[in-house]
Amino acid sequence: MAEIDRRDFLKLVGVGAGTAAASSGCYRYSDLPEKLIPYVVQPEEITPGIAVDYASTCVECPSACGLHVRTREGRPVKLEGNPDHPVNEGALCARGQASIGRTYHPDRCRGPMRRGPDGVLAPISWDEATTLLAEKLTAAGSEARFLTPPMGPTLSGLLDHFVEITGGGPRVEYVAYYQGALREAAAEVFGQPAQPLFDLTGTDFVLDFGSDFLDSGPSPVEHQRQLKQARDVQTAAGREARFVYVGPRLSTTAGNADEWVAPKPGSEGLLALSVAKVAFDERRRSGKPVGGDAALVGGLLADFEPSAVADRTGISADRITRLGKAAAAAQRAIALPPGPGLEGSNAVAVNAAVLLLDAVLGAVGESVSLAPVPDAASYAAVKRLTDDMRAGRVDVLLLGDDNPVYSLPELGFSDALQEVGLVVSLCPTQDETGELADLVLPDHTPLESWGDAAPRPGVRSIIQPTLRPLYDTQALGDTLLEVGRKMGVADKLPEGSFRQVLEAAWSDTDWRAALGRGGVFTTVAPQGGTVRSSASKLVAGEAKLDGEGDFVLLSQPSPLLYDGRGASLPWLQETPDPVTKIAWQSWLEVNRDTAKKLGITEGDVVTLETAAGSAEIPIFPRGGIREDVVALAAGQGHTVGRFASRSEDGKPGEMRGVSAFALLPGMTNESGGRAWLTTKVRLAPTGKQSRLANTQRSDNKRLRQLAESVTLAELARGDWNAEARGEPHGAHNEADHGGGNYEAHHAPAAGHGDEHAGSGSGHGDAAAAAAGGHAVAHEIHRPFDPADDAYDDSAYRWGMSIDLDRCSGCSACVVACSIENNVPNVGEEAVLRNRQMQWLRIERYVGEGNKDLIAGRKRPDDLENVGEVDIRHSPMLCQQCGAAPCEPVCPVLATYHTGEGLNAMIYNRCIGTRYCSNNCPYKVRRFNWFDYAIHDFPEPMQLMLNPDVTVRGQGVMEKCTFCVQRIQGARQLAKDEARPIADGEAVPACAQTCPSDAIVFGNLKDAKSEARVHVRENEGRAYHALQVLNTRPGITYLAQVERSEDGEDHG
Amino acid sequence: MRPNAARRLALVLPLGGVVLGIALLGGGLSASSSESQSEEVLVAGTVCEAQDLKRRKELDPSLAIEIPPELNTPWPSWEACRSYVAAEDPDTPGPVQPIQFSHKHHAGDYQIECLYCHAGTDRSAAAGVPSVELCMGCHAQFPASYDELEGIRTLKQHWEEQRPIEWEQIHRLPEHVQFRHNRHVAAGVDCQACHGDVAEMDKISMIEDTKWWPWLLPTHTLEMGWCIECHRRNEASQDCYTCHY
Amino acid sequence: MTPPPAESVAAMIRPGAAPPDSPVNRDLLRVMDGTSVGYWILVLVAAGFVGLAAGIWIWQVYEGLGIAGYKHPVFWGAYIVTFVFWVGIAHAGTLISAILYLFRAKWRNAINRSAEMMTVVAVLTAAQFLGIHVGRIWKSYFILPYPNQRGLWVNFKSPLLWDTFAITTYLTISVLFLFVGLIPDFAIARDRASGWRKLLYSLLAGGWQGTSRQWKAHNRSVLHLSGLATPLVLSVHSVVSWDFAMSIVPGWHATVFGPYFVAGAIFSGFAMVLTVMIPMRRIYGLDAYITDYHLENMSRFLLLTSTIVAYAYGSEYFIAWYGGVEVEQTNFWLRAFGPYWISTWIMILCNGVFPQLLWIPKLRTNVAFLFVLSVLINIGMWFERYVIIITGLSREHDPAVWGIYTPSYAELGIVAGSFGFFALLFLLLIKIVPVVAIAEVKETVIHERMHGKGAH
Repeated sequence: MAEIDRRDFLKLVGVGAGTAAASSGCYRYSDLPEKLIPYVVQPEEITPGIAVDYASTCVECPSACGLHVRTREGRPVKLEGNPDHPVNEGALCARGQASIGRTYHPDRCRGPMRRGPDGVLAPISWDEATTLLAEKLTAAGSEARFLTPPMGPTLSGLLDHFVEITGGGPRVEYVAYYQGALREAAAEVFGQPAQPLFDLTGTDFVLDFGSDFLDSGPSPVEHQRQLKQARDVQTAAGREARFVYVGPRLSTTAGNADEWVAPKPGSEGLLALSVAKVAFDERRRSGKPVGGDAALVGGLLADFEPSAVADRTGISADRITRLGKAAAAAQRAIALPPGPGLEGSNAVAVNAAVLLLDAVLGAVGESVSLAPVPDAASYAAVKRLTDDMRAGRVDVLLLGDDNPVYSLPELGFSDALQEVGLVVSLCPTQDETGELADLVLPDHTPLESWGDAAPRPGVRSIIQPTLRPLYDTQALGDTLLEVGRKMGVADKLPEGSFRQVLEAAWSDTDWRAALGRGGVFTTVAPQGGTVRSSASKLVAGEAKLDGEGDFVLLSQPSPLLYDGRGASLPWLQETPDPVTKIAWQSWLEVNRDTAKKLGITEGDVVTLETAAGSAEIPIFPRGGIREDVVALAAGQGHTVGRFASRSEDGKPGEMRGVSAFALLPGMTNESGGRAWLTTKVRLAPTGKQSRLANTQRSDNKRLRQLAESVTLAELARGDWNAEARGEPHGAHNEADHGGGNYEAHHAPAAGHGDEHAGSGSGHGDAAAAAAGGHAVAHEIHRPFDPADDAYDDSAYRWGMSIDLDRCSGCSACVVACSIENNVPNVGEEAVLRNRQMQWLRIERYVGEGNKDLIAGRKRPDDLENVGEVDIRHSPMLCQQCGAAPCEPVCPVLATYHTGEGLNAMIYNRCIGTRYCSNNCPYKVRRFNWFDYAIHDFPEPMQLMLNPDVTVRGQGVMEKCTFCVQRIQGARQLAKDEARPIADGEAVPACAQTCPSDAIVFGNLKDAKSEARVHVRENEGRAYHALQVLNTRPGITYLAQVERSEDGEDHG
Repeated sequence: MRPNAARRLALVLPLGGVVLGIALLGGGLSASSSESQSEEVLVAGTVCEAQDLKRRKELDPSLAIEIPPELNTPWPSWEACRSYVAAEDPDTPGPVQPIQFSHKHHAGDYQIECLYCHAGTDRSAAAGVPSVELCMGCHAQFPASYDELEGIRTLKQHWEEQRPIEWEQIHRLPEHVQFRHNRHVAAGVDCQACHGDVAEMDKISMIEDTKWWPWLLPTHTLEMGWCIECHRRNEASQDCYTCHY
Repeated sequence: MTPPPAESVAAMIRPGAAPPDSPVNRDLLRVMDGTSVGYWILVLVAAGFVGLAAGIWIWQVYEGLGIAGYKHPVFWGAYIVTFVFWVGIAHAGTLISAILYLFRAKWRNAINRSAEMMTVVAVLTAAQFLGIHVGRIWKSYFILPYPNQRGLWVNFKSPLLWDTFAITTYLTISVLFLFVGLIPDFAIARDRASGWRKLLYSLLAGGWQGTSRQWKAHNRSVLHLSGLATPLVLSVHSVVSWDFAMSIVPGWHATVFGPYFVAGAIFSGFAMVLTVMIPMRRIYGLDAYITDYHLENMSRFLLLTSTIVAYAYGSEYFIAWYGGVEVEQTNFWLRAFGPYWISTWIMILCNGVFPQLLWIPKLRTNVAFLFVLSVLINIGMWFERYVIIITGLSREHDPAVWGIYTPSYAELGIVAGSFGFFALLFLLLIKIVPVVAIAEVKETVIHERMHGKGAH
């Protein structure tokens, strides 16, 4: 790379210059010629330097969000949500943002390969490869099998057709996390096979039985938007809305809840039925519908009086009653079924119980729709397939873009593969499964291929290629067609390429229009159903648990790595887990008191012994988990791949972290689906220590003006004041944290309900009073107007408002920022030294903190965790201060204040004294300790660098610029049309991708700009981070609203 | 600009050099050109020679020349031949390009608009560089006699092989400079202001422009002070964020 | 000062008048001639350290500052610590030469020369760290305010820029001071030297004949230089302290820093003078010139400055408590009982407690004790800077991004190299320059002869 040479050259020149004083140094880049290579034929839609967006679809998870793929000179540089798409409406989650990296992954399979006699994969031509496969398939007949993850309708249709005409064995679809148990349950309860879909729009009481629907659920972006809109504190309904999380662990989703109920793991079903019982009686009394024949439903619920289940669930009868009454009283209540992590041997029963509760609450047909079942993945099927393989009944096995060797260890899948004649892998990137393949037919990445998706009725979404394939790969569809023709069944196959097949499948629509919009979207009325006469499977007992030990192992999907598919994407590895803030590693969450009992602290390595095996893993103590539960997120524990494992190249290497899958016994639920909550575990301290890459150094904000929260009462009174957090609250803190700790340690806290019974009232007048508070509020909360911090002759003062009540901590903004601004992922070692480069981080504090902690009693570090129930997420990025401490101290004016109120950072002027960062109270500046631009963008990753943003070299400071490149871009358009930049034209990557619109950016000098309005309307809870320092930030935070019943205490 | 009489003369003077150049290229012609002193009939070996002899005949009617009919074609024109030779003259500054392309010939003699080939420069930050297709758009229609120019043959070869041309870049700004061509075009800044009078250059090189600013400090073409100086004069923005981010 | 009768002094110094091998000359110039094996070993060791540091530095320039132990949010570390340390050391020289001169403290004569030499060397050492700690040394010329083709100017608001000016100014003055004071001695050396030294000293002495006119001029220039240098003693380290005091970092942002740093600087400076001079006195048998009387006075100075420094420590903690700013309190708590407690207690003991032993008169003249103490003080003062800079940064306003810093081997290597550099330059200098101001000593001798011992 000429790049590197030049840099080194300059560096050496520089040493000369540096040592020999200011003599030389002013070289001229133009002295170093480079090639200028124009197109042979320039595509008419491409003008070098101008970005083109293409609509496509994200396939990272089943929700199928719409994409706008921004391409420059014909290659994608950034993914953004498609505003026209009904699922995500322009937003995108962290996983979706990072998925662009699959196309530019250094470990991509670059062409067809075949394992030679020497056992090494050697490149062959596509013709050889397909011919070979054709022969083998013909020979194999019905012993040819296909194992793929669920795919788009057209492709899976083609695959079925192919299997049919070539006489292959039954095709199997499998993916680690799917909603089989829920479908079964729906069939049980409503007597019709259905895929229940949950719509949180307008709900005012959400009772979540352990589905982490905000981070790893079936449609996180959509649900986050719906939930946060339903809870919009500016509306009376929003203030009234409540969200209760039921589950043993305080997850990212639970952190957004008003109340956390932690029953014994596996007993959620009982709780649901008991709540349903209470709600049923209530609704009966008030004559509301109860989701079916009252006598029948009542009969089903008869034995589930709260008192009857209190002991079995560990939740006090009073509390259950309170929940039931609240649910029944709500206008539009909904109950959500458990997520994969909590699905045990009784998963179907638990799901059924929750669906029954939904029916009782009258949600079915309203918020809950019973959609027809799409092609379903099935664990039972993959289990049968593995048996066939082991019995040598499989001759050719074609593995789709999935990693069963990693995700199915309990079936001994890798051993079974040995018995298969020919293992064919489509691996777009090298993984454990690809390592064992005999024939590799690399598939395109989604950004390179055609396809479609139908996540739910009314949504048909198109996948279209946005760049010419980087390597010698071929779309699965085309490979099938080619192989089929070579097998002599051409006549039964459709004509042409897979693209034509797709177009044919869409012939009922206006293809071009669909391409433009990203698909065809219609609104479909939710389908209801009534409880069937004999819902037999409803005896939801506790989950059966294998193994020995005092703890239950909870293995939930990771919010970022999901089932492990995210592990190969460095952005997802580098982004800290939203709750624990640990990156690049695996950790075991243990309750703090349990840890104390075992005499272990953060980073101590324990041996984790389950029914299926054992592993050594460092622990992370916290209050937010039951004392009898330990949690290990899925996703880590890969042994192949550059970022997934510790290997430096694509080859197999040292394992990164621990794989939860390898520790779980292969237990199934009633319907033969995969059960995850299956094993008890033993913990044995090893005495070893390992450092956790924990990016949150202290959970205790010490009442400093960070991650503030306000109670509804305060909001109503309008007298909340971030600066006055100290003294008057000291007393409260004691009480509160006493209570908080109690809640955390002895969750579920008995009698929680009574303490605060009836506090629901008072919100009404609170709302009424809210109006009055504003005038005063302005004085109190916002000592100045950020709009003043720009030159008078400038029409702009760029600013931002961040609504902590909407922020869920999902970290989509973090990944979006890193990709937009060419921020390098520096890896585990660097993160351990606090050298991560992300411009935007999400700070996770716990509660108000307690400043007394620093008084002479103990060292600060001993008292970090102060109660876990009150999790605060607060995005921290450059505050673009009006009186920025970083500016005056820079000796060379590399950072200065622009006329538009931006705190500019000029990389090429920076000499790296790092004084600016020392003087920045928010610590949002990042320093290039090494030449990350070269080390951390291995070929071909440099192809996805954003050409609009300078790639920073070694020794310079960098930081958030409010995506100034986008502001300048918008300015060009405005200038061409001789008008000012309109509101919403310039949007930073973080604001653009936020699923819940927590981040709003705009021109503060424009009184009508959204950012400005957003703050004005929420004046009562507006504050500036660390505003006592009077740095006059351009960012205004809106304090998180505490709706929890004990909220008044916080205030 | 039409070449006026004075310039014609100016063109004639280097003819010796041109003839020599062609002679070396064509080879075996040195004899005839040396004989030219002794009132012999000069025979053209190539179209370019033919053009050259015609031109000399105009200046000195006494000259006896003979042009084989197949070489008696207007194309390639005398200017084409001249610029083609000049474009690879090692003595003029600037790197030798893969094709002996002369801006003087295209932008000067034929008055082709800059934006015709460098399309998009008025719309995009990046200056458009013509694709091979665009070149062929014209050259495909030209008579075969043009093929005696090596550059044309190279061009057609690239087109047949669908292989892009790798030009040597001459005007390059460091990565940390976000320069926007369209803004400057829109502001009415001539291309010549930064790229020099390319219509007068056969072979492109960066113009040696030195602005003595500030405090009598020399700042050279495409150096920061050089840009700032212009921005000052034209009251354009001098905010660092205009170009660096 | 009451200049001694010029002719008598001239009589003593004018060649011929006084025998060239007058005991004073012999004793004091002996230092310069002949080099023992031990000397060369010392030189080699010192040079070794310098070489090591140079190697590390080149590696650092190529690889990046990452090889140092920096850890977000601690962006300044051992380099700046050592920079401040050496600037501090540099203070004794000017103080002794200028202020004590103005205060007519006769006893300074024996020590001012070595103090001044030390100053120059220390400033040179310190200056290097400005370059070593920046991320892009090859761009560091940006910091110089000179007209440039970029049409850019520097930021005069930045304390770092003030630093640059302060250091350069200080260097100029100290060199001037040293040189002017040396002229008469160069003359003496010239008269005894031969070969290249003869030439060198002739040039340096600049035709000094010791006439009364020359003496008048000399004395006046010394007087004026002292006048010029005096404010520097206060200003230079105040400026350095502003690097910290001007920021909003808890533990840095304190009004006490100016006097606090100046006192600390003088304190460390005197300690270093002792550390350097006691062995020299022993090796070259200068006891007759650097007497207990001198040691006594320096001890008192140490005692005074130590007390001031100790007071500053106290006031810092008091303000943290009294100010009631939680961030400050957290920070100072961390200093004393956090991960950095060792450094903090080293600093308090070495600078605040041990020197107080000097209240005991016997110890003030106990060479062994003074040497040990002076070394301890040097260590203590390095850690003082370490504590101030590092603890301030590692517990700032945003608890989410606290971090603990530990220096890397690269940093320690370069720091060690700086001591090597200091030693090397000093060792070379004492072979070229008379380590004791001969003329001034003689002056005192005469003075005493005329008014009796101990007269001031």
